[in-house]
Amino acid sequence: MNKESRLKARVNQKLTETGERDRLKELLRAKLTECGWEDQMKAQCKEVIKEKGLEHVTVEDIVLEVTPKGRALVPDSVKKELLQRIRAFLTQHVS
Amino acid sequence: MKMEEKPLSGPDNTRLEALIQDIYSELVEDACLGLCFEVHRAVKQGYFFLDETDQDSIKEFEIVDQPGVDIFGQVFNQWKNKECECPNCKRLIAASRFAPHLEKCLGMGRNSSRIANRRLASNNNISKSESDQEDNDDLNDNDWSYGAEKKAKKRKSDKNQNSPRRSKSLKHKNGELGTSISLDPYKQYNYNAGISFESLGPNEVRSLLTTQCGVISEHTKKMCTRSHRCPQHTDDQRRAIRLRLLGPSVPTLPDADVEGDSFDVPDGQALLSCLQWEDSPDISPTDSASSKASTNHSDSRRPKKKKSALSMNSGGGGVNLTGVIGSSAQSNISLSTKKKKPKTAAPSVSSIYDELN
Repeated sequence: MNKESRLKARVNQKLTETGERDRLKELLRAKLTECGWEDQMKAQCKEVIKEKGLEHVTVEDIVLEVTPKGRALVPDSVKKELLQRIRAFLTQHVS
Repeated sequence: MKMEEKPLSGPDNTRLEALIQDIYSELVEDACLGLCFEVHRAVKQGYFFLDETDQDSIKEFEIVDQPGVDIFGQVFNQWKNKECECPNCKRLIAASRFAPHLEKCLGMGRNSSRIANRRLASNNNISKSESDQEDNDDLNDNDWSYGAEKKAKKRKSDKNQNSPRRSKSLKHKNGELGTSISLDPYKQYNYNAGISFESLGPNEVRSLLTTQCGVISEHTKKMCTRSHRCPQHTDDQRRAIRLRLLGPSVPTLPDADVEGDSFDVPDGQALLSCLQWEDSPDISPTDSASSKASTNHSDSRRPKKKKSALSMNSGGGGVNLTGVIGSSAQSNISLSTKKKKPKTAAPSVSSIYDELN
C-alpha cells in the first residue's frame, strides 16, 4: 500500500521534525529504568554472557537473545502510556 | 504541514492504530538495542561485572532490615548511658557531659579561660567579704548551680565598677537608705538570682528587707526578691523573717517602738557592748569601712542568739539613741564581758528608725 507507507513515512518525518521521537525515546527509557525493566534485562544479558563465555560474546548474540524478552517484559502501564502519547501526537498532527 | 490523507474514519482508525503500534514497537526496539550495546561494550571493556565481588563480602555488607537496628546493624543510642573515664581527673563522666567536662578539666577551650578569670576576680573580693563559697571544682561541673550564676552576676558587676550607673542602681536598690551604706557591689546583682541570706551582713539584710519581701523559700533557701506585696508570701511570713534575721525589735517597719522605755539606762552600756565585733577574725576591714555603723556581718548566721541581745537593744532603739550610737559607732569595742551574744543589730535598728523618722 503506497498510501500507507507514505503515511507512515510522513508520520515518522513529523515525529522527527518536531522532536517528538526523541522525547518519546527519553520517556520510554526513563520509565523502563524506573520500573526495573533495565535491571531485569541486565540479568538476562549476564546469563547470556555466562552462557556464551565472557571473551567471545558478540553484540548479535546478546541482541538476538535478549530483545524478544525485552519486548515481553515491558510493563503494561508503560506500554499504555506510550501508546497514548503517540496517539495524541498523531491526532494532533494528522488533519 | 497538513497530511493529504483523508480524515479519520472507521477503517482508517485501524490503520491508525496499527501505525501507532508500529511506532511503539520501533521505540521499544530502540531501547533494547541501546541496552544491548551498552552491555556489550561494558563486557568488552571489562567493567560489566565490577559490582559483583565475592559472595562473602556481599553477605557481610548486606542491608540489615531488623527492627531496633539501623541498616548497618548498629543499635541506636547504645552509647547514651555509657560513662567515660576522664584522663585528667580520673572520674567517670556521662558520655553526653564528657566533652564539656574535658574542656573545663583540661583548661582548654573558650569557656575555661573565662571561668578562670571570673574566679580570680571573685576570689579577690571573696576574701574581703566573708561569703560562703562552694568548692570551685563543683561549680565547674555544674553549669546550673547557683554559684555559677552568682559568679556570672559578679562578673557583670565587675565591669561596672566605675561607671555612674553603679551608684544609680545602688541608690535604687537601697531604697531610702542612701548611698552611705554601700552594699557590696557584687551582691547587688544577686538580687535577681535570689539571695542567700547567710552570706550577707546585717546592713545588707536590713536594706534588703526594707525593699523586698525577703521570705526565705523552703526549696532554695533563698530570700524572695519580690515586693512587700508579693502574693506568694503572707505578711506573717515576712514578719517572721525579719524577726529571725534582724531581731524582735524590727518585725515590720511601722512597729518600731515595741519595748521602748524600760531599758533606758542599762541600754547605754549594753548597747555599747553590743556594738562590738563578734569575732575579729571573721571580720574584714572593708566590710566595716563600707558601713557607717559597725556591723557584725555574721549576724545573719546566728539568728537564734539575736533575740536575747536584741531585746535589750530594742529599748535603746525606742529612745533616741542616735547620739549614743553615732559616737560608739565610730569605735570598735572589743568583746569583753559578753562572749558571743552581743549582736550589732542596735546600730542597724537605729538607722532604720532614722529613716522612718
